[in-house]
This record gives sequence, C-alpha cells and structure tokens, in this order.
Amino acid sequence: MSEVTSNVEINVHHVTRVEGHGNIRLRIRDGKVEQLEWQVPEAPRFFEAMVCGRKWDEVQAVTCRICGICSVSHSLAALKAIEDALDIAISEQTDRLRLLAMYGEQIESHFLHVGYLVAPDLAGVKSVLPLAASHPEVVRAVIRCHKLGNTIMEVLGGRRTHPMAMRPGGFGKLPTEGDLRALRDGIEQTWPDAKLVVDTVLSLAGKLPAFERPTEYIALVEPGRYPFNHGSIGSTDTKQPVPVQEYKSVVNEHVVAQSTAKWAKWHRDSYMVGALARYKLNHKELLPKAVETARAFGLTPKACNPFLNSVAQAVEAVQVMEHSLVVLDELLTTGIEPEKPQVKPKAGWGVGAVEAPRGILFHNYTFDERGICTAANLVIPTNQNHANIQKDMEALVPQIMDRPQDEIRLLLEMLVRAYDPCISCSTHYLDVEFI
Amino acid sequence: MRPVVVIGLGNLLLSDEGVGVHVIRALEEQAERFPDVDLLDLGGGGMSVLHAISGRRKAILVDCALMGEPPGMLRRFAPEDIRTVKALSGFSLHEGDLVRLLELSRELGQAPEEVVVFGIQPAHVFPGQELSPALQGRLQEYVDRVVAELGSAAPA
Repeated sequence: MSEVTSNVEINVHHVTRVEGHGNIRLRIRDGKVEQLEWQVPEAPRFFEAMVCGRKWDEVQAVTCRICGICSVSHSLAALKAIEDALDIAISEQTDRLRLLAMYGEQIESHFLHVGYLVAPDLAGVKSVLPLAASHPEVVRAVIRCHKLGNTIMEVLGGRRTHPMAMRPGGFGKLPTEGDLRALRDGIEQTWPDAKLVVDTVLSLAGKLPAFERPTEYIALVEPGRYPFNHGSIGSTDTKQPVPVQEYKSVVNEHVVAQSTAKWAKWHRDSYMVGALARYKLNHKELLPKAVETARAFGLTPKACNPFLNSVAQAVEAVQVMEHSLVVLDELLTTGIEPEKPQVKPKAGWGVGAVEAPRGILFHNYTFDERGICTAANLVIPTNQNHANIQKDMEALVPQIMDRPQDEIRLLLEMLVRAYDPCISCSTHYLDVEFI
Repeated sequence: MRPVVVIGLGNLLLSDEGVGVHVIRALEEQAERFPDVDLLDLGGGGMSVLHAISGRRKAILVDCALMGEPPGMLRRFAPEDIRTVKALSGFSLHEGDLVRLLELSRELGQAPEEVVVFGIQPAHVFPGQELSPALQGRLQEYVDRVVAELGSAAPA
C-alpha cells in the first residue's frame, strides 16, 4: 500500500486524431505533489471569427451550430446581444416562448448529465451501457426525459437540434396553441419518469464524495425569479449585482501557462458557474416540487461541495418542468398572437447573457451602421469554471492522496464530470476500424 | 413518423465534419421522391439520434468518419462491421460516439431492424463552412449512394 500511496502518476490524456480533450496530470513523488494540473484546449474562439462580417440577421445561423447540447443557449445569448446592440424590443409572448425553449434544453441536458455521466459513477460502472443492462427502466426513463426536452426544443426552435425559428425580435415560425397543449401533456406524462430518475440518483447520493471548498458562485439574478434568460450578474461574494453589459469586469479572463483556454476570476482566484451557483443564488425562488427535491437530497444554500452540482441539476430539472407548466398556461390563456418583428439595422454594441445548462454564457457583438458584425466575444461557462476545477483539485488531492491510484484518478475524473465541461462540443465524427 | 429515416450528422462550422448535413440538404431538394422517408439534419445533437431512430424500420446515418481511407472515400457499413476506436475522455456529454449510441439503442431494444452507416473520410476537420474540394467534388456521388440505398429500402 505504501508503494501505491507515496508515488502516483496520473495522466488522463486521450490522444485523438482530430482534437484535444481535457487532461488531468498528477504526479506525486515520495508523498509530495510535484505536479497537479487541469489542462484544457481552447474552446470555440474560432466561432467568433465566423460571426464577424455577417449581417445582424445571419449571426444566428452560425451561433446555433456552435454546440449540439447548448444550441438554444448560444442562439438566445446571440439574439439578446443583437437586440441589445440594435435596440430591438421583444414581446412578452416571445420572451415566454424563448424561456420554454431554454427549459427544453435544461431538461435535456440535466437529465442526460445526471443519468448518463453521474449515475454510472455512483453505481460503480464505467458507462451508461452496463447501466442499461442492469437498470433498463431507469435508462429508459432518462431517455424519455431527454426526449421531452428534445420535443420542447423542436416545437419552439422549429427543428430538432439547431433552433432556426428564433430570430432577432421574435420568432420566424410560431408554435400553435395545439403544439403548446401537446407539450403540456408531454410534461405531465413525463413526471413519473423524472421522479424515477431523481429517486434513483437520490438512492445513490450517499456515494457522492464528501468534499467541501468554499468559492465564489456566479449566476444571473433577478428579483422574484429563478432566472435563465434575464437578469444581472449576481455573486455570493457581493450583494451588488452587475449589469450584463459589464461582464468583462466579472470574468477577468486571463492566460495561464497550463492551458490554452483562458481562465476567469472575480473576487477570488476562481469562481464556479452552473446549477449549484444558480441554486445558491436563487433558491428562494424555487417552486414547491423543486424545493421538495432539494430537501430530499439535503441540499442547502450553504453547500460548497462541487460534486453537488449534479444534485442541483436534478433540482433544476424538476424546477424547469414545473415552471414550464406555468409558462404554458400563461401562453394558452393569452393565446398565440401572430407578430412580425420589424428591425432597422444600425451601429451598436450589445451583450446577451443567459444561463446555459453549464452556467452563465455571454455573447457580445459590435455592429456597424449597415448591421454588419465587426467584433464578437463569446465567454462560455466552461472557460469560467476551469480555474475553479484546478483549485478544487488542489484542495482535494491532499485529502485523498493516501488512497490507491485508481481511486484518486476516479475521484478527479468525477470532479471534472460534475462540471460537465464543454471541451469538445464541436465534433461528432466517427472513428472506426473495420472488423 | 415514417418507417425510414436518413440522418445527417456533423458540425457545419468545421468543414468536412459537417458532410452529413450537406448530404441531407442536397436530399431535401428532392424530398418529394421519398414519401416514406424522413430526412433529418441532426447536426451536432448526437443524442437525438436515439429518438430519431427509435421505432423505425430502417435508419440510414451519414457522418464524417475516420476510417484510414483516402479523403473523400465513402464506405457503407453496418454497426456490426466495425468497432469504434474513438477515444472519449468520459468527462463530458459534449463528446459523442455514434457507435456507442447505436449499441445503447440495441441494448434498450429500440434499434431499427436495419441500420446502415455511410462513413465519409474527411480531408480536414477545422473551422470553415465549406467542404474541402475533395469532398465537395464528390457530394453528388454521396447523395446518389443514399438515394440508391433508399431505393432498396422500399417495402417489397
């Protein structure tokens, strides 16, 4: 045992033929940590260059393709930035429909993350495949929940993955009231599946590592809401929220030697964004079923265990299903009114911020007087979390370094998975050999 | 839901990675020829494949594939003809592997009777919205191969 514990060499590097993934490097010699680094390749900076030179109404065609998991978030952050820059007002109907699309994405992403990535760890298996053999009913429930999110996004976005119906100022194609009633029925019918997934995670939650590291938590805040598509930038380290237009003073992106991706910090060395941050800042606005879910897990606003991000995702999955019903009822009461967005291009600078499933996402564009984009800046949640992952690792390793190497490696991987970083969202190619 | 589905996968912003979507777009221009077929551009939404193939008789998937072939080469195969050598970090939902997804679909008993994959070897996968000349020049051939496959998909 002493041999195992005094020297550790972990290098979770997956050399792929096209792109890089995140890498954990840990080297312990004679019981001393010589190297501990969370190394990550740069996230989608190159999309910024593709947006430049495009007209205000063409930007969306690029941004909705950035990521297959967070396509609504990227679309909406872009639309809000364009609307901010060009002074475009949107109707309450548009705002509600967009929120529903965001909810579809949260449902899809949170259930997948909890069911596909986290549950196998807690159940002690390597991936969702063995889980599908041992707990097929749970995996089927996860898939039905994912499908609900997918359907919501499809109805609101006008297509399955990349939501082209959402445009600056409104919707190119509006859902019908019949569509919305069908979504309402779909949510009601999916409650038992959602409950099964949440209860399964609850039964395994004791396996979540007990590790705490207080840090700064940042999310959108707005009085009276648990916001995803509005608000100012809130932090657990200050009572004074900052307007989204001042995002640069919050993210303070800086270069570090170990990673080509920039890191972020505000009041401390690092901060965390995502479900746990949102829960800590906005828990008072949760609806009853979500409150009950948080209580069942013993989640409190004081939580500072990053592994509990997955628990906060389960709470949020319930919250957004519950609030989707409220929003759908509001829309069905007022009825869907046809509207034609009128936009007059002009020069401007604007910022859009939304809560993507993984945390706060900023898009920032400059347009010239013809409405052509001349500058773009995208700050994705994952980049904001990298420094925090590093600091978590630095605090966690001394607590676990007497354990066998495989266990240390698994715990570090689980830590990264808790954040579900978007490190290779851009490609889905096959890599195969013939048998 | 129609009995047969053709799904194009890939990211249109990464040149040849998006070839599956280019093929779907070309097929959409002649969609009326295939009344029993859904043509779907699923882009980078890998997991949606599970729902899109569930309950179908036949699924045809078109995707960029590293197969050790010359750039532009198309190969038709069934999932059982290949094994994946894609290295996944396991860190994130954002990395997808169609092969493992098809395995999951089978494990859950939701896979179509017949699954056919058209893999197209890329010349390059880097930021850009155009296909490489090697693939662009053969786009019609890819479309024709899928159309021929659809011909054989017609119920007897």
